[in-house]
Amino acid sequence: MRRPMLALVLLVALAVVGLPAGVHAQKSFKVGAIVPVSGPAAAFGLGVQRGLELAAEDVGVFAVAGEKYKLEVVTYDTVYAPDKTVAAINRAVYNDNVKYGVIIGAGVHPPILPIIRETGFLDFAFAAAGRQITNPDNPTAFRIMASSDQLYQAYAVAIAEKLGGKRIAFLGPNDELGKNDAKAIKAEVEKLKAKGVSFVGDEYYERGARDFGPALLRLIAQKPDIIDTDGSPTGSIALIAKQARELGYNGYFVNSTAVLEAKAISDIAGKAGENIIALRIWASPPTKLYTELAERHQKKYGEAAPGTLWETYGAARWLVDTIVKAGTFDTMKVADALAGSTYAAHPFGAASWGGEKAYGIKRQIIMPIPAAILKNGKWEPFDVRSGKFE
Amino acid sequence: MDVYLHLIGQGLAIGLLTGILYVLIALGLTLIYGILHIVNFAHGEIYMLGAMGVFYCYVVFKLPFAATLVVILLLSLLLGLGVERAFFRPLRGQWLQLVVASVGLSLIIQSLGWIAFGIQEKNVPSFFTGVVAFGGVRLPTQRLIAAAVGVVLVGLLYALVYRTKVGLAMRAIEEDEETARMLGIDADRVAALACAVGFALAALAGAFVAPIYSLNPGMGLEAILMSFLIIIVGGLGSITGTVLAGLLVGVLQSVGGVLLGAEAAYGLVFIVMIVVLVVRPAGLLGKA
Amino acid sequence: MKRGLLGLLIAALVLLPPLGKPYVLHVVIVILINVVYAQALYVIMRMGYLSFGHAGYIALGGYTSALLVTKLAITPWIGFLAGGVVAGIFAWALGAVTLKLRGIYFSLSVFAFAEVVNAAFRAFEVFGGPAGIAGVPRPALLGTRLNTHLQFYYVVLAVALVSLFFLYRLQWTRFGFTLLALRTRETERLAESLGINAARYKTLAFVVSCFFCGLMGAVHVHYLRFVSPFVFTFFLSNDLMIYVMVGGLGSYWGPMLGTVLLTGLGEQLFAAGYYKSLVYAVVLLVVILALPGGLISLPRILRRGGARERVLPVAADVTAARER
Repeated sequence: MRRPMLALVLLVALAVVGLPAGVHAQKSFKVGAIVPVSGPAAAFGLGVQRGLELAAEDVGVFAVAGEKYKLEVVTYDTVYAPDKTVAAINRAVYNDNVKYGVIIGAGVHPPILPIIRETGFLDFAFAAAGRQITNPDNPTAFRIMASSDQLYQAYAVAIAEKLGGKRIAFLGPNDELGKNDAKAIKAEVEKLKAKGVSFVGDEYYERGARDFGPALLRLIAQKPDIIDTDGSPTGSIALIAKQARELGYNGYFVNSTAVLEAKAISDIAGKAGENIIALRIWASPPTKLYTELAERHQKKYGEAAPGTLWETYGAARWLVDTIVKAGTFDTMKVADALAGSTYAAHPFGAASWGGEKAYGIKRQIIMPIPAAILKNGKWEPFDVRSGKFE
Repeated sequence: MDVYLHLIGQGLAIGLLTGILYVLIALGLTLIYGILHIVNFAHGEIYMLGAMGVFYCYVVFKLPFAATLVVILLLSLLLGLGVERAFFRPLRGQWLQLVVASVGLSLIIQSLGWIAFGIQEKNVPSFFTGVVAFGGVRLPTQRLIAAAVGVVLVGLLYALVYRTKVGLAMRAIEEDEETARMLGIDADRVAALACAVGFALAALAGAFVAPIYSLNPGMGLEAILMSFLIIIVGGLGSITGTVLAGLLVGVLQSVGGVLLGAEAAYGLVFIVMIVVLVVRPAGLLGKA
Repeated sequence: MKRGLLGLLIAALVLLPPLGKPYVLHVVIVILINVVYAQALYVIMRMGYLSFGHAGYIALGGYTSALLVTKLAITPWIGFLAGGVVAGIFAWALGAVTLKLRGIYFSLSVFAFAEVVNAAFRAFEVFGGPAGIAGVPRPALLGTRLNTHLQFYYVVLAVALVSLFFLYRLQWTRFGFTLLALRTRETERLAESLGINAARYKTLAFVVSCFFCGLMGAVHVHYLRFVSPFVFTFFLSNDLMIYVMVGGLGSYWGPMLGTVLLTGLGEQLFAAGYYKSLVYAVVLLVVILALPGGLISLPRILRRGGARERVLPVAADVTAARER
C-alpha cells in the first residue's frame, strides 16, 4: 500500500509543479471551445466542440499573410459554472494564446466580459438573453444563435395569433435565462392587449427538476391555452408535457431557445408530447449542408447531433473566411470585417449580422429561424410568418 | 375559494405520491445510519443505478419486467455487501473519513455513469398511461402503482426489522453496539446486511421511478439531498419517523409549491428542517 | 529549518509574481483563496465539527461586499471587512442554536442554512436574482484601480497571509487548545467540569471560521467582478471538505497541502470532462483508505516504519458520529 501512495503523491505534486505547459505548435490557428463538457449542460458543449472539429476538417489548410495555418480546436470545460468559466478563459487567453472561441451560457458571461474587453478576445457567444452581452461595450462579442429578444419579438406574437391563443403562461428554469425570457415574453404579450391576449402567470423550476406538479397546478388553474417553456431542454419539456396532460391541460407548448429531440420527447411523454411548438428546429432540412453535417456527425460520433452543432460550424467557417479575406488575426480588425460581412453558406441559410436597433451594435446573427410542431412523434413544419428584428 | 380547495387537494395527492418515493430512498439511508452510523452520500447513485438498470435490462436487452427487478435486486444487494466490506468496514468508527469516503464513492459512480451511459437523457416508457380521477383530483395510474409498491416495500422492511431475528440483531446493535457484540451478535455481518438491504431499497425506488421521470447519471443528487432532509426531520435511525417525514416533506413541497410557488417551497422545506433541529434536535420520532 | 523554508516561500510569493504570466497568477490567486477557505473550515473540523455549508457563509461575505460597493458606492476595502463581519454575525446566530448538535446533525443544519441563503439570493431582485450582480469593481489604491492580475494578486496575498497567520497563531493560544478539548461530548463535559464555557468557545470558533470565509469570499467576488447564486454552491462546500480531509486533520499544514495539490490537479485536468471528477474521487478514496489521517500523516507513518495509524488527533470515535 505504501509505495503506490508515494507514487501517487509524487504524481500529484508533478501535476501541480508542471503547471503551464504552453506548447505553441507552429501555424495552428487555435479556436477555444469554452463550454461545458461535463455536468447537466454537457450536451450543448459537445455540440459546439464537434461543430468546431467538423469545421476544422472542412477548412483544411488556409493562408493568412503568406503563412499557412490549420484550425486547431482546444476544449476548456466550464461545467456551466461562472468561476470555472473564468478559470477556463484565463487559461485560454493567458496560457494557450487562444484569441478566438465559442463560449456557452448567458449566466457565465458577466465575469468574463471584463477579460474579453481587456484582451480583445473574439467571443462567439452561444447564449440566449440579449443586451447583457450584445452592446457597444463589447465589440468583440458576437452572438451566433438567435437571442431571446429576437425569438420573442419575432415569434411570440405571431405564434399566439396563428394559434388564436388568448391566455399565455410561462414556465422556465429559475436561472438568469428563465427570468430574462419571462420579462421578454411579458413585454411582447403586453403589445397584444388590445386584441384580448393576456399574460396569466409565470412559474420557475430548478434546473434538472423532475417534478413539475406544483408549478403546473398553479399555472393550469389560470386556464392558459399556450404555455411557453422557455429554453427547457428535451428531458424537461417532455416531463412538463406529460405531467401537464395528466393534470388535464390540453393546450399548446412553445419552446424557444432549446433544441429538442422529437424521438426522446415521444419516448418519455408519448401522446402527451403532441403540440409542442419549437423554434430553431428544422422539420425539413434547410440546406444540403445541414443534412450532410448531421450524417457526418452520426458516423463520426455514433449518436444524433446535439442542437448546437450547426450554428457553431457555420460561425467557424464564416470566421475563417473573414480572417483569410482580412489577412490578419488581429481580433479588433477581424471583428470589424466580420460585422460588415454576410455569409451565404451557413447551414441554416444566408446569414448576416444585425441588432443595431435593439442592442446598439451589429453583433447579433440574423438568419432564418425555423419553427416546427410535434405531431405523431415527428416534427412537422409550423408555418409562421416571423416579425422583423433589427 | 373552491379553486383553491381543489388545488390543495390535488397538491396533497401529488405530495403523498412523491413522498412515498422519497421514503423508499430515505429508509435505506436511515437503516444504514442506524447500524453503521454513516451518512451514505453514495445512496443517490444507487437509486440512479436502479433506474438505469431498468433502462438497460428492460428497454435495451428486452428482459421481462419481473426478471429486470430480480436482476436489479440481486446486483444492488451484492453492491451493498461489497461496498460495506471494501469501504465502510475499514473506516468504521471514523465518521469524518466515512462521510468523505462515501462522497468519493458517489463521485466515482456518477462520473463513471456519465462516461458509460452517455450524456443523452434516457427514458423508460410508462406501463400505464391512464389517469384516475377522484372527484376532480387527478392521479396518474403509473404513479399510483409506484406508490403502492412503495407501501408494500415499506411493509416488508417493517417485517424484516420487527419480525425476524436479523431485525432483532439490527435493533440490538442500534440500541447498544457493545452490548450486542458481547451477546454474540456478529455486528459486521449485520452491518453488511443492513447496507445490502439499504442499497436494494434505493435501487428498487429507482426502478419504479424510471417510467415516471427521465433518467441521467446526475439524478441521484436531488434524491440524496431530499433524503438527508427527511432522515433529519424524521429522526436518524427511526423507521416510522422517516416514513412520516418523507410524506411530510413531499406534501410540504407540493402544497407549499401550489400556494407559494416552487421556489419558496424549496426554501420552506429547509427552514422547516432548521426549526426541527433547533426545537427537537432528535427529529420527530428520534430518541432524545 | 522550518522557519527558513516558510520565509523562503513567503519571499517567493511576494517577489516572484512580477515574472509570472497572468495565467500563473490566476492559478495562484485561486489557490490562495481556497487555502484560506480550507484553513477556516479547519478551525471547526479541529473541534470535531464538519460543515456541509461553508459556501453559504462565503456567499454571504461576497454578496455583502458586492451590494455595499455597487449600491452604496462604499470602498471595497471596507466591503471586504463588512463581508467577514456579516458572515460572522450569521454564524453566531446559527451557531448559538445548532452547535449543541453534534456529528451529522450539525453538518446538515449548516447545509440547510446554506440552501436557504442561496434560495434567498436567487429569489429577491435586490440581491440581483438568478442573474447575480455584475460589474463589481476592484478596489483602488492611491487612485489606481487594481484591475490587472498582478495588482489584485497582492491584495489576495495580503489578505491570505494575514488570515493564515491569525489562524495559525490561534491554534497555539489557550482558546485554540480549548477547542481541541471539545472534540467529543465526553471531553466537552470534562472541559465544562473545569469551568470552561464550552458553548461560548464553540460559537466563537464557528464565528472565526465563518468570518474568514466571508472575508475571503468578498475578496473572491471582487476578483471575479461578479457574483451569482451559481458561484458558491454546495459543490464548493463539498470540495473544501475534500481538501481538508485529503490533506489531513493532524496538522495545520494538512488542509493547506490538500488544497494546493487538489486545486493544482484540477487545473491540469481542465479539459478532461467527467474524467476530472473521476480522478479527483479516486485520489480522494485512495488517500482516505490508505491514510485516514490524510497526506500530512504520511511522513510520520514512514518514519514509524509503516505501522498503520488509526488513532488521529481528530478522528472522532463512534459516539461522536451518533451524538447530537
